[in-house]
Amino acid sequence: MHEFSVTKSLVDLCNEEAGRNNIEDVKKIHLKVGKFTGFSPDSIRFYFEHLKVNTRCRHASIVFEEIAIRIKCSNCCKDHTIEDPVLLCPACGSDRIELMSGREFYVASIEGE
Amino acid sequence: MKRIKILKPVLVSNQQRARENRTFFDRMGSLVINIIASPGAGKTSFITNLVKRMKNIHRILVVEGDIKGQIDSEIISKLGIDVIQINTATECHLDAFMTAQILPKIRKRYDLILVENVGNLVCPAEFEIGEDYKLAILSTPEGHDKPLKYPLLFHLSRVVVINKCDLLPYVDFSIDSAKKNIRKENPKALIFEVSAKTGEGFGEVIAQVEKEINAGKKKSQH
Repeated sequence: MHEFSVTKSLVDLCNEEAGRNNIEDVKKIHLKVGKFTGFSPDSIRFYFEHLKVNTRCRHASIVFEEIAIRIKCSNCCKDHTIEDPVLLCPACGSDRIELMSGREFYVASIEGE
Repeated sequence: MKRIKILKPVLVSNQQRARENRTFFDRMGSLVINIIASPGAGKTSFITNLVKRMKNIHRILVVEGDIKGQIDSEIISKLGIDVIQINTATECHLDAFMTAQILPKIRKRYDLILVENVGNLVCPAEFEIGEDYKLAILSTPEGHDKPLKYPLLFHLSRVVVINKCDLLPYVDFSIDSAKKNIRKENPKALIFEVSAKTGEGFGEVIAQVEKEINAGKKKSQH
């Protein structure tokens, strides 16, 4: 449900950035989404179709690029890519973990003319 | 066709607004706790316990976030402290802009501002409001697996309170498993076990909050 306000922020941000860069007609929005966020691409797409009307993004589609969850273990000094956000080292079981990636949610670029 | 690099978080405006709210709260010397839990976990009863035990020593404001109605505000205002209600209408969480709307109503200095977010384990986690930290409440009837099912909230919460511990004999809930699951998401989480019904366990929670209020005061004096 929170994707509505998130998608509104996405459209506002892309519309503003397009205006600043003299892009009247945005075709693509490249969106990076970490796997340790609570955002559903399907819901974002659903709301986007409604919210993009009458903006510079009216013809745009969103290209989602997922970012894996990566952790660094301070105990065994190894990096790991993990599927589920369980912050324990899969090699040594330590909880001295630093989250390296997975929380991203940003617009990488926009394409248009 | 041209491609422009943006590299900006989607929630950049919320983050910016949250920072401005935080600056306001810091200037007022208020410790702000964003309380997040599922509906019925005992957020209002938890707040009631804190308020009853702390209101004679500290100036407390409670901010109630609900989709509709003022039921919780009415409960809290009977305790004789200030309450501000935010109705989110359709939104399932509080965000920094909704929180900013109440700032003009804050005309006194409060030591502690307890914000009761909308009952939900998912959405409120993603939106900063300008808080010092998030406090998650997990109640025993919900099950000890919830931290693994809603990992983000437990990852982001500095404090996790296990509530309704008086029901432990009647529900399938293991405190050990719950703690292990919380630590899997957040090894540094401070975990407290309480019963908002009986008042058990609140001494430790209050000692922690007092410590943070005093640390904040020291900081603002420098």
